[in-house]
Amino acid sequence: MTIPLLSLIVFTPAVGAAALMFVRNDDVVRWMALGVTVLDFVLCIAMLGGFDTSTHEMQFTETRPWVPALGITYTLGIDGISAPFVFLTALLGWISVLASWVAIDRKVKEFMVSLLAMQALMLGVFCALDLFLFYVFWEAMLIPMYLIIGVWGGDGRVYAAFKFFLYTLAGSLMFLIGVIVLYFHGGETFDIRTLMAQDLPLQVQSWLFFAFLIAFAVKVPMVPVHTWLPDAHVQAPTAGSIILAAVLLKMGAYGFLRFSLPMLPEASVHYSTLMLVLSAVAIVYGGLLALAQDDLKKLVAYSSISHMGLVTLGIFTLNLRGLEGGILQMFNHGVTTGALFLSVGLIYERTHTRSIADYGGLMKAAPVYTAFLALFTLSSMALPGTNSFVGELLVLSGAFAANLAVGAAAVLGALLGAAYLLGMYRKVALGPASIGVRFKIRDVNAREMAAILPLAVFVLWVGLYPKPFLEIIDASVKHLLAQVHGKGGAQ
Amino acid sequence: MTAAALFQSILASLPEIVVVTGACILLILGQLVRKGQQQFLVWASIAVVLIAALGTLMLAGEVRPAYSGMFVADRFAVFFKVVFYLVTVLTFLLSRKYAEIEGIGSSEYYVLLLLALSGMMIMASATDLLSIYVGLELMVLCTYVLTGFLRQQRRSNEAALKYVILGGVSTGIFLYGVSLIYGLTGTTQLDGMAAAVTGDPLDPGLLLAVVFIVAGLVFKVGAVPFHMWVPDVYEGAPTTITAFMSVGPKAAGFAVILRVFLNPLVAASNVWIIVAVIAAVTMALGSFVALVQDNFKRLLAYSSIAHAGFAMFGVAAGGADGAASVMLYLLIYAFMNLGIFGIVIMMRNGDFSGEVIEDYAGLAKSHRGLALLMLLYLFSLAGIPPTAGFFAKFYVLVALVERGFVMLAVIAVLLSAVAAYFYIRIVMVIYMREPEGAFDPALTPAVAATLAFTAAGTIGIGLFPAWFLRLAQHAAVGG
Repeated sequence: MTIPLLSLIVFTPAVGAAALMFVRNDDVVRWMALGVTVLDFVLCIAMLGGFDTSTHEMQFTETRPWVPALGITYTLGIDGISAPFVFLTALLGWISVLASWVAIDRKVKEFMVSLLAMQALMLGVFCALDLFLFYVFWEAMLIPMYLIIGVWGGDGRVYAAFKFFLYTLAGSLMFLIGVIVLYFHGGETFDIRTLMAQDLPLQVQSWLFFAFLIAFAVKVPMVPVHTWLPDAHVQAPTAGSIILAAVLLKMGAYGFLRFSLPMLPEASVHYSTLMLVLSAVAIVYGGLLALAQDDLKKLVAYSSISHMGLVTLGIFTLNLRGLEGGILQMFNHGVTTGALFLSVGLIYERTHTRSIADYGGLMKAAPVYTAFLALFTLSSMALPGTNSFVGELLVLSGAFAANLAVGAAAVLGALLGAAYLLGMYRKVALGPASIGVRFKIRDVNAREMAAILPLAVFVLWVGLYPKPFLEIIDASVKHLLAQVHGKGGAQ
Repeated sequence: MTAAALFQSILASLPEIVVVTGACILLILGQLVRKGQQQFLVWASIAVVLIAALGTLMLAGEVRPAYSGMFVADRFAVFFKVVFYLVTVLTFLLSRKYAEIEGIGSSEYYVLLLLALSGMMIMASATDLLSIYVGLELMVLCTYVLTGFLRQQRRSNEAALKYVILGGVSTGIFLYGVSLIYGLTGTTQLDGMAAAVTGDPLDPGLLLAVVFIVAGLVFKVGAVPFHMWVPDVYEGAPTTITAFMSVGPKAAGFAVILRVFLNPLVAASNVWIIVAVIAAVTMALGSFVALVQDNFKRLLAYSSIAHAGFAMFGVAAGGADGAASVMLYLLIYAFMNLGIFGIVIMMRNGDFSGEVIEDYAGLAKSHRGLALLMLLYLFSLAGIPPTAGFFAKFYVLVALVERGFVMLAVIAVLLSAVAAYFYIRIVMVIYMREPEGAFDPALTPAVAATLAFTAAGTIGIGLFPAWFLRLAQHAAVGG
């Protein structure tokens, strides 16, 4: 019997969370949480070491019966589309623990338990190959995330937590109905690979497409169901924001890639223009809103909406460059936005203000910190040499191939991005030191460096040498395209 | 009736006989037990239930019709009886300390609970409208008295009076329906009725009779438009009795509803439309009105209306999966609802009533374990995986979609999203507020055991539903 590596990866944080409940000392809790997440990360690297990039087949699969009467199984497996996100989740796991080291000073145990539970569920979402199992992971995430925002958040945390919970729940429940309908149309099975091979009538596909769209659009989030995101981001503690931006938002896009495209190919092609337009609206609208923000977290939150619009745009170009760019951009957005929220969190711990107007001249006070901030800002606006440039270029070239007008809108979004990001950086880092930072600001310490440096490494690595990342996703994306366009029509 | 047939009948109804006999013995013993020796009564009552449970399980092997077709001991009945035993034993365990705090000294409390149990058991086994009526009356008469058990409290008296009057009217309506059925078909047996009808199943007279019977039964499960008694009675009754009523009699009501609806005669008519409308309206009312409740018991009353509505959707779906989904739903609901009620009961200590949601503000700060349990029950009631509450709802939805009622499924989930709000609002109060005073829950070993058991059920069925699902499916098909 082989080692069930994916189960280990998924359940290590869960077991860690259960063990933490019996620990009393806060420091022990922190170190244990760090140990568990690092162990999980190591397991994840071991998994990637054995990952075969030449095939689109699911790898590391394991399956056990769960509820045989309804054809529900416990099946895990990953392919080139899910592997990057398993890795991303594991990476941000320990970074989140480090980011909460001193920022969370009350109910530390409960926080770390929620964080670890969250990580287990997020990994489960990316590994699940059974729709029921996927749904269980997907919706169970609401519980720890609700607590993370609601208990450890800012002043308006309760409102934000409710909004997050209800938006996501309402969306997910439509998805659940869709899943059950799919179950009966697809031969009474929840197995994702079997369901991908079904050939459903276009009318059924259309209904399902919209049922899925509601759930995934809320998670991405796409305009007009994005309003929970700024609230949740602003109120959530730093680690919550990191997880939310870096991993949770990816799940909506992942849902499109894993379910909508391969299971409902005709509907996906049919409604691709609608999706492109919605994405373009999100890019421009998110960018415009970001331009008007004074709150650092809100600015990054709206930039997320804009950037995730670029991701969905890439996905629904339904061509190779667009899709590969979209997936790479998902990974990049996770790294870059995670890093930006981390940076905002670090400075907030020192000054307790997020208002851009309070800052200025930070470069003199904290040069190392400001250098990192510069790198992530430039990455977010897709400067050549950083990770986002590669992804954005691929998406844009895919977009222009698919639809000229939409491509133009995406370029406009990139311009807006440069405007609000550079504006933010100028106000925060340059110029004379303002009231808010007149007192001495400490530069990054070793713990913070340990959290922020890996993200900087990935920003440059993907930016300068994206080949290994593209190789991982390549085979699966080509297979996905073949599924969407029919076996002969792959571009 | 020959001696052999009589013996068979007695054998089939042995558990009921055990419970009734036990109740009678306890009634006498209760007079002999001195004040302060109530402990004995609790354990004796639990022993009676366990003996009955043993009998039920030993006789579960085959279908035993009895009393000339008025009664049957089949797997369907066994499933429900197990739920009833579970509910009753847990109620006994919760009652001990609570009875002391509230000053309920008399032994009748336990005897009446046992008699109510026997009524519910007869309902689950009844295959004739008249035996259904006997079981129903036995059960509700006991619950009328139990509701008014806090004699010194006006609230309790008012609740009991309301309950008696409304319950009497609904029983009258039910009986009127039965008389119509008898007039139309010449029999009151569920199977006989179906055989006697040769004409159009949509005969308006018959439909009217069915509507009356449904109305009478719908009252017992607290569905709209016969739900008005629920909030007042739930609020006024001793909390242990509220807990009992929210799961036991409700499940018994559903047992009868399923028996009537699994009947081919009814299944052939378009009565599912009525049920579907009742389900949707019930769920909508329960969910929306619960949003504005401040009293925990009233909130749980509306929540129980909403859950009755959701289970009704399973009845509307019909068929084997529909019936099984309702049964599984009731089993799971028993676990999670008794769990949350267990905590409310436990918080009642000294001057602390624990009835207002605000009373629980900041509970998580001093009582981490309790808060975590509440979190579990509340998310389960809201239907969030991986708790059992999710699987219960999921299976009802599967049954609905299987029959092609996708729109009903959409209505059901939208309303459960509304319902989720008031559950997570309580979570918010527990976790996101600062405590105003110290908490002093009356945590006895019996209460702790109840909470542990219900928590294990709530999370256990959620993670490993396969066995319980098969149980429900077998019981539904074997009926």
